[in-house]
Amino acid sequence: MPASKDSSLPAALQKRNFRSTASSEFRERCVVAFLAACGLTTVLITVCIVAMLVSQSWNFFQSEHVSLTDFFTGSEWTALQSQNLANAKFGIWPLLSGTLRVTFIAMIIALPLGLITAIYLSEFAGTRVRKTLKPTLEIIAGIPTVVLGYFAILVISPSLQWMTGGAFDTFNATSAGIAVGILCLPMVCSLSEDAMRAVPTALREGAYGLGCTPFETAVKVVVPAALSGIISAFLLAFSRAIGETMVVALAAGTRATATLDPREQSQTMTGFIVEMIKSENEYGTVQYFSLYAVAVTLFVITFGMTLLGQLIRRRYQESYQ
Amino acid sequence: MSQSATPELQTSRLPTALVNQDPSVAASDARKRKQLSRLFFWLCVAIASISVIVLAVLLISIGVQGHSRLSADLIANSHSELEPETSGMRPAIIGSLFVCGVCGLVALPLGIGTAIFLEEFKPTSKLLRGLHGFIQLNIANLAGVPSIVFGLLGLTVFVYMFNVFGLIQVNKPGGWEWFGAKHYYQVLSLEPGQTILIPQSDLDKPTIKIEGPVEAVDADGNRFEVRTWDRKSGPKPADKATRMRTVKQGAVGGSYSQRSWYYFRLPFGKSFLAAGLTLSLVILPVIIIAAQEALRSVPPSLREASLGLGATQWQTTRDVSLPAALPGIMTGAILALGRAIGEAAPVLVVLGAAIAKNSGPQNLMDSVVTMPVLIFNWAGRPQAVYQEVAAAAIIVLLIVLLALNSVAIYVRNKVQSY
Repeated sequence: MPASKDSSLPAALQKRNFRSTASSEFRERCVVAFLAACGLTTVLITVCIVAMLVSQSWNFFQSEHVSLTDFFTGSEWTALQSQNLANAKFGIWPLLSGTLRVTFIAMIIALPLGLITAIYLSEFAGTRVRKTLKPTLEIIAGIPTVVLGYFAILVISPSLQWMTGGAFDTFNATSAGIAVGILCLPMVCSLSEDAMRAVPTALREGAYGLGCTPFETAVKVVVPAALSGIISAFLLAFSRAIGETMVVALAAGTRATATLDPREQSQTMTGFIVEMIKSENEYGTVQYFSLYAVAVTLFVITFGMTLLGQLIRRRYQESYQ
Repeated sequence: MSQSATPELQTSRLPTALVNQDPSVAASDARKRKQLSRLFFWLCVAIASISVIVLAVLLISIGVQGHSRLSADLIANSHSELEPETSGMRPAIIGSLFVCGVCGLVALPLGIGTAIFLEEFKPTSKLLRGLHGFIQLNIANLAGVPSIVFGLLGLTVFVYMFNVFGLIQVNKPGGWEWFGAKHYYQVLSLEPGQTILIPQSDLDKPTIKIEGPVEAVDADGNRFEVRTWDRKSGPKPADKATRMRTVKQGAVGGSYSQRSWYYFRLPFGKSFLAAGLTLSLVILPVIIIAAQEALRSVPPSLREASLGLGATQWQTTRDVSLPAALPGIMTGAILALGRAIGEAAPVLVVLGAAIAKNSGPQNLMDSVVTMPVLIFNWAGRPQAVYQEVAAAAIIVLLIVLLALNSVAIYVRNKVQSY
């Protein structure tokens, strides 16, 4: 600008050139749109999952050999065994009971052990113990599930057989359940510990001031205060155990049985999916589409668990300011 | 506690048993409670040490089972049905690298982008806030979906693409091929062991019968005329070059396709691309949640300072929040990739359980074997030899994971020292 040339402003300030704000605003909008698209991808994934499950299992329930009542009440599942469609029986109960058996055993192990370890970590343990215990739990959490399945075959199942004098099958629900329990333990532990650490120290000090022992403080004050977090951790572990695949595919067996005996083989829902994939059954047969019907059941259960966990955490979480 | 009853209490109308509590009863009560507390402490110690013991038993038993197979063969060879003693996992290691590479390339930008959107661009309007909350809820739900369901999603969407492009059939170039593939008929020439490639025009015709002269291509891609030879028309040509360009009258050729590394088609079929994309869906929620935590831990004062200087929201994110959160994001990303390397179920569903492969992927649409799938296959076999090789392969896998985890821990410690 010639007018300001003879002013006393320094040259650097005189020659300021401003970039157009219009273009950078446009760029800003593009970036936000891109980021929003990233966020919407996750929604798209959910939509795809639901669309896939509904459309593919529709093919299954459409078949004349399948009925909804048989699916929900039938006590025989022979999709893999009988190549002849007329003889195949599609009742979800054997698979569901197998899954629940394994999950139940896993929960017996993971929930108490995880909770008590969490109490120990958050209430009692000194820094030195924490420094060994935390990484140990992290390593266990990072072990691939196929390795735990192998561990179940290699160690857990033989030692169970040895202890009971051979009452257990080689592949059984118990050893798979124990391995799944080991898998869920770190998760229960770290989530419950987080919940308990969020309980303010003032509550503990209050309890100690009233003369409570450490045990009473932990069990009667800290755990109830953190209960919503602990329960949602339990639910998460439950849904993780239901969806666990490689352990049960290796160690639980391949016969779908509708018993309550934990010593027998038990095929789970995920185990069936793996067997079906391994069998290379032809795409398009009713047996193949039964895969998706099982997956729907699995998805509905785990989705319900997750939703319930979130609901509990949001509604009953006590917030301390 | 009421052990020391005050004089005021004694004058009240409470029964004397409550007012003057027996000191011996109170003492034993206190002792019992203290004992219970100590008992509980030791119970805690015992139970907490169970996890250490389990880990030790696991590592030792696998080490004992597999140490004898830890040799160069394991890294250098591929799976062999005939000689299980020298079976190795080279294709599986390469395959795992490729699959996880694809997975990281897709999941990291997507996950970090989503986390930035959720943490840095908190909108003020009610509608957009609702969208934010919905995406957040959706991510939490995705994190709870079993990985095998993601596997089925990958099978339906990436492998078959809802069968939009028609059913995939074995030994047939299915779907829409975009680039990188050339189709030929392969015909035996008169020179023993040599073949001639004839460009294929009609993809639906699997074989060709050569009755007259046709056009073929040589190794350099030049076209030439194929001559035919008949027993009636005399002896075979003596010249080797001529013999290599001559076929028998009525020879039959089968179809053969040459694929470059950039060969691309839709649907993806059972390719490592499909497996990597599927795995990226599995670890996407993990990455998003970790990146959100990292961004949340950046102090707001940094952002406010930047915004106060007149930077836009994106400039603040790019130059202030992201650099500060990067170590945390990287830690989460490395841990998520470690999970992807160990994940077997989705890969198994997408690629199938077959492990007979003796090299890494040759083109984008080639299938691969990954380490966990190989271990699953070996561990499921009854032969003791394969059990041992499986243990050895597990040791290799655990070493890889341990290396990744120590990188993550190193990064995290680096952050904490600031």
